[in-house]
Amino acid sequence: MSERANEPSTLSERANQPSNVSGELIIEGLSVHYGGVTAVRSVSLRVAAGQSVGLIGANGAGKSSTLRALMALVPRAATAVRFGDVDLMRVRANDMVRHGIGYVPEGRHVFPGLPVEKNLMLGAYAQRWNEQVRDTLAEVYEIFPVLAEMRRRLAGALSGGQQQMLAIGRALMARPRLLLLDEPSMGLSPKLIEDILAVLQRLSREGMSILLVEQNAKLTFEATTECLVMENGEVAMQGASQELRRDPRVRKVYLGL
Amino acid sequence: MQVFFQTIVGGLSIGAIYALVAMGFSLVYRTMGLVNFAHGNVVMIGAYVASTFYMTTQLPFAVSMVIAIVVTGLIGVVIEWVLRPLENRDFDLMLIGTIGFGIVLEALATIIWGATGRAVPSPVPAEPLNLLGIRVRTYNLVVLGIAAVAMILLMLFLQRTKRGSAMQAVAMDYEAATAVGIHVGRSNAIAFAIGAGLAALAGGLVGPLLYVSPAMGGTLGIKGFAAAILGGFGSIPGAIVGGLAIGLLDGFAAGQFQGYSEVVVFLVFTALIMIRPTGIFGERTVNRA
Repeated sequence: MSERANEPSTLSERANQPSNVSGELIIEGLSVHYGGVTAVRSVSLRVAAGQSVGLIGANGAGKSSTLRALMALVPRAATAVRFGDVDLMRVRANDMVRHGIGYVPEGRHVFPGLPVEKNLMLGAYAQRWNEQVRDTLAEVYEIFPVLAEMRRRLAGALSGGQQQMLAIGRALMARPRLLLLDEPSMGLSPKLIEDILAVLQRLSREGMSILLVEQNAKLTFEATTECLVMENGEVAMQGASQELRRDPRVRKVYLGL
Repeated sequence: MQVFFQTIVGGLSIGAIYALVAMGFSLVYRTMGLVNFAHGNVVMIGAYVASTFYMTTQLPFAVSMVIAIVVTGLIGVVIEWVLRPLENRDFDLMLIGTIGFGIVLEALATIIWGATGRAVPSPVPAEPLNLLGIRVRTYNLVVLGIAAVAMILLMLFLQRTKRGSAMQAVAMDYEAATAVGIHVGRSNAIAFAIGAGLAALAGGLVGPLLYVSPAMGGTLGIKGFAAAILGGFGSIPGAIVGGLAIGLLDGFAAGQFQGYSEVVVFLVFTALIMIRPTGIFGERTVNRA
């Protein structure tokens, strides 16, 4: 265990990491086929250490599939998928978290029949449940005070927004270096989307890498520095978020004009 | 009055056995969304293994029981291992696979131990115990005690341990469970092993109460299944309450209706399920199919 006295204080600095610190995510030529249908066709993208990258596009453009393929939750093919010096093509879905990759699935996949705190503790399943995990729990409660209030409530009894926060908090419990989020704004009120945005910006400031998959382009442009726009399973455009938000072609991709 | 209380104690002790069987059904269903139709046959194997070691090698009853639990636990792991490639792919084939395993186990038991069956002597003195003026069979109390300990241990395991929480998490959302680092296959194998271990405990305990035969799996399996449904399928407290309820029903029906007691038990069960289809504790239905 590390020296407790001079431990860094933010979630991502104390990330659960082996020796390798760089941690750039590199995806090259990633494809996903469901039966005879190609959901993702040769997608390439990079997320530098500490960078926030967005993946936007219309419903069914292949954003979620890209993320699920990255997580090894669906059969995939790729030239390369690496995170730092780890070849992710050789890592099973349930071991991703052990390589510093946190995943917030689409549609608030919390454990409904377990209390909020148990949900969060399970986020640190891959670690020993010791003092350090307790510290992380306190930090997650500090980021999401509402979860602290609800700690004994069953996760299934929370509102949609609270469940989304719980899903993010659970992923943070593993102290990931890279956080993958699949549509965190789905079904949330504008106020709650603002809250989620603030959390993402905070995590990013603290040095966490983020790959955000979203239909909500406005949120994504604000939360990220770089964006890819997907259309029909392929990357249609990519560039700096600030430029893309002014680009009329993005609108076209969305509306299918 | 005397008969009434004896019936209650007898009913509760056979009910505790149904509850153990029901807990195995519910545990596997909770974690995998699968009804293990071989479960009753695993109970039967447990009964045979326990009684064989107890009667022929003269090992103490408790030791024979532990051996039976280990053996059937391994059978559980094998069943899960064979079915694993089908998990989340072909649910119907998995169900049929468990039925197949049940048939194989019954056939194996017939080959190894013969079709006639055996009576198992009670491991404790046969003379009844005098409890506050009520005479009860000592063995019934032994069964109740052991079953209670097993139930408490299982609840503690699920509620208090990390592995237990992880198993519940897998049942609720296997994808989210995978994302936090839980090996779903391993968790399922443990669920199957614990379920089979509970089956062996039930089988071992029921030996001195009923006749041990290759066909007993059907009877105990269907009673345990009914108990699980009555309690709310997938619920562990439900399995306990359901098991005790079916056991009591069994006891009183046997006293009142003799040969028709089974009919009465299942008629009452059917009526109860029509009134409350989700069972006693079954407000939430798990559906992963």
